[in-house]
Amino acid sequence: MRSNDVLGLVFADTMSDKIPELSASRTVASIPIGGKYRLIDFVLSNMSNSGVNNVGIIAKSNFLSLTDHVGSGSAYDLSKRRSNLTLLTPYDGKNFSNYIETIYNMHGYIDHCREEYVLISPGNVVTNFDYNALFDFHSKNDADVTFVYRRGVVPAGYDRPLTVETDDSGKVTQVRITPEIGDVEVNQVYGSMLIKKSVLMEEIRNALSVNQLDAKRHIQMSLDKYKVFAYENTGYTAVVSSINSYFDFNMDLMKKDVRDALFNPKRPIYTKVRDDAPSRYGLDSRVKNSIIAQGCVIDGEVENCVISKGVYVGKGAKLSNCIIMQDTKIGKDTKLNYVIIDKDVTVKDERSLMGFDSYPIYIAKKSVV
Amino acid sequence: MQMFPKQEVVAMLLAGGQGSRLGVLTKKLAKPAVPFGGKYRIIDFPLSNCVNSGIEAVGILTQYQPLILNEYIGNGQPWDLDGMHSGVNCLSPYQAIQGADWYSGTANAIYQNINYIERYDPDYVVILSGDHIYKMDYNKMLEYHKEKNAACTIAVIDVPMEEASRFGILNTYENGEIYEFDEKPEHPKSTNASMGIYIFSWKELRKYLTEDAELEGSSHDFGKDVLPAMLNAGERMFAYPFEGYWKDVGTIDSLWEANMDLLDPKVTLDLKDIYSRNPMMPPHYVSPDANIQNSLVADGCNVEGNLEFSILFSGVTVGKGATVNSSIIMPGAVIEDGANVQFAIVAENTVIGKNAKIGQRPEEVENRDNWGIAVIGENTVIADGAVVKAKEMIDSEEVAGNEK
Repeated sequence: MRSNDVLGLVFADTMSDKIPELSASRTVASIPIGGKYRLIDFVLSNMSNSGVNNVGIIAKSNFLSLTDHVGSGSAYDLSKRRSNLTLLTPYDGKNFSNYIETIYNMHGYIDHCREEYVLISPGNVVTNFDYNALFDFHSKNDADVTFVYRRGVVPAGYDRPLTVETDDSGKVTQVRITPEIGDVEVNQVYGSMLIKKSVLMEEIRNALSVNQLDAKRHIQMSLDKYKVFAYENTGYTAVVSSINSYFDFNMDLMKKDVRDALFNPKRPIYTKVRDDAPSRYGLDSRVKNSIIAQGCVIDGEVENCVISKGVYVGKGAKLSNCIIMQDTKIGKDTKLNYVIIDKDVTVKDERSLMGFDSYPIYIAKKSVV
Repeated sequence: MQMFPKQEVVAMLLAGGQGSRLGVLTKKLAKPAVPFGGKYRIIDFPLSNCVNSGIEAVGILTQYQPLILNEYIGNGQPWDLDGMHSGVNCLSPYQAIQGADWYSGTANAIYQNINYIERYDPDYVVILSGDHIYKMDYNKMLEYHKEKNAACTIAVIDVPMEEASRFGILNTYENGEIYEFDEKPEHPKSTNASMGIYIFSWKELRKYLTEDAELEGSSHDFGKDVLPAMLNAGERMFAYPFEGYWKDVGTIDSLWEANMDLLDPKVTLDLKDIYSRNPMMPPHYVSPDANIQNSLVADGCNVEGNLEFSILFSGVTVGKGATVNSSIIMPGAVIEDGANVQFAIVAENTVIGKNAKIGQRPEEVENRDNWGIAVIGENTVIADGAVVKAKEMIDSEEVAGNEK
């Protein structure tokens, strides 16, 4: 199979109820992450770099920041004569609240696309993944469906994680939906899968005909009908499913192996370009173990932080273990520890905010502290 | 033939010169493409000025080593110069029925592209060069040009009297009308230095370009031939006074100084609204061992050493225990562990080996005349422990002789 025979479908609202703070005014896919990116940049870049050049993004609400960010798709090379980015939003009051009805409601778009396969991805996954390896695996096994899984502990936020077990060939032998799975290593299917379009649409209709709106349950029930395989994404994979996993991922960026895995120069991660100047460090700045984007002015002390585009850190400010989103101003002589600060916030001089490792404080967009 | 909507102003940017005074930096690069300010190239400044002044048609005259420059300009999208009927075009010398000519001078380059200019049926043409760092609203200058009903307006900047002999000085009457050009005068009469920015009314310019082209013995240069001819013919020529930051970056020293000016809070140049092509790189990382003071750092850098009064372009690595002081490190360069780089310019993708010592402080050199910025050319590998003295210039092809 060729990668241009694959239609990409991205769910922009994955887990939005579990990250209410960050997704209050935006889709999960457009949550700012890693200093200069939005979550969806990773999925779209992976698709584009793998030659998937027709991509639909399904967003049910709050998609202003998403449309503003992805635009025509040109930043991902997805806006050319033979490549396309389409935003799929609710219409005619149709129900977008569950996976099965959502896909069914999009059947007009999906049927219209000429690709034979559909690659589904959630909008909350951070990885640098070459889908061509998945396509080869799928063809080699002549599979109907191939799930992508990550091996590890399921992060907080997943109430009923879908896990699989396979034989040596990768054929799925067991599909489990386990509530309260605990701290055990499992093969977690995080929502990414490759499926023949005809099989996808047939099963969506089958599920609806028996009023089965639980996609995970339907997968479990239909396992024996198809050749179902699972493919491990062995590279670094983070899923954002709670404010804690959001915090943990950003802090993971301080590790060299994580940065090397995500920012592979041969498979770059693209994002909307902003013309920021290089960041300026003042005479009294002291920065240790941090990720700093462009357009910042740093006059204070910063340690174990992710600082986004256009942030100002005043003299005498002490920031540790913080995530500061774009264009926020941190005043002089402030003290911040374990704080996540959204866009365009002003923290006035001499303010002090302390969260904790397991409970970072969140400050909403445009607040004045 | 395709019809182009009329443009009141067309800008022509002279980008063909070799820039030989920049030595190894322009060995494989036209001067306007030389990296500047941590993420820009020199040409970003005039191009951004054009767009911010509402000029939508820009011709770039290329001749010397145009590959990187052409690639960088591309379709003009980063500067919004990719309009349907206007935008940026790189104009190289070409063959025609009547023969093939290199651009023999600045005026000749424009003369050979009269067809390009006339497609837009402009009233005015702005002539710019690609070797100055400044922010300017050309629109204000155009208004001045119209107000004075001039044939030609030349932007001037007030320079200190003691430096005036290094510049082309324009002597004017009180109303700003030029009565004399004084090229690098020994005894300057005024301090109005030409910035190399000209606005011409197109009809007049077209006439003088055509006359100059037929003139035997002309060097076909604006400064030497066309402007004096216009003045002698009694055309209305005015000096437009500009206030603000302006710096010629035609030499190693001035290029280094202009970069360092960006670190000086007293300097008025800010980089807002200067557009450039952005490499796709993650934000930079600063390690626990790093120490950064008064510096500019771009995306994709990895800093584990010490940085003071320096500018790191995108994708630069500074290893553990390495020190970079008062230096400019261009994209993709690697400063390995323990190396010491000071008062130096390190060009793109160059590797400075472990514990190598590049450049010297002024006070380390006995005779001040022997002091200068050390320059390492692009794609050069400097061996571990090697020493490069002040003012030395290292070319990747000669590097073997400079090792150890």
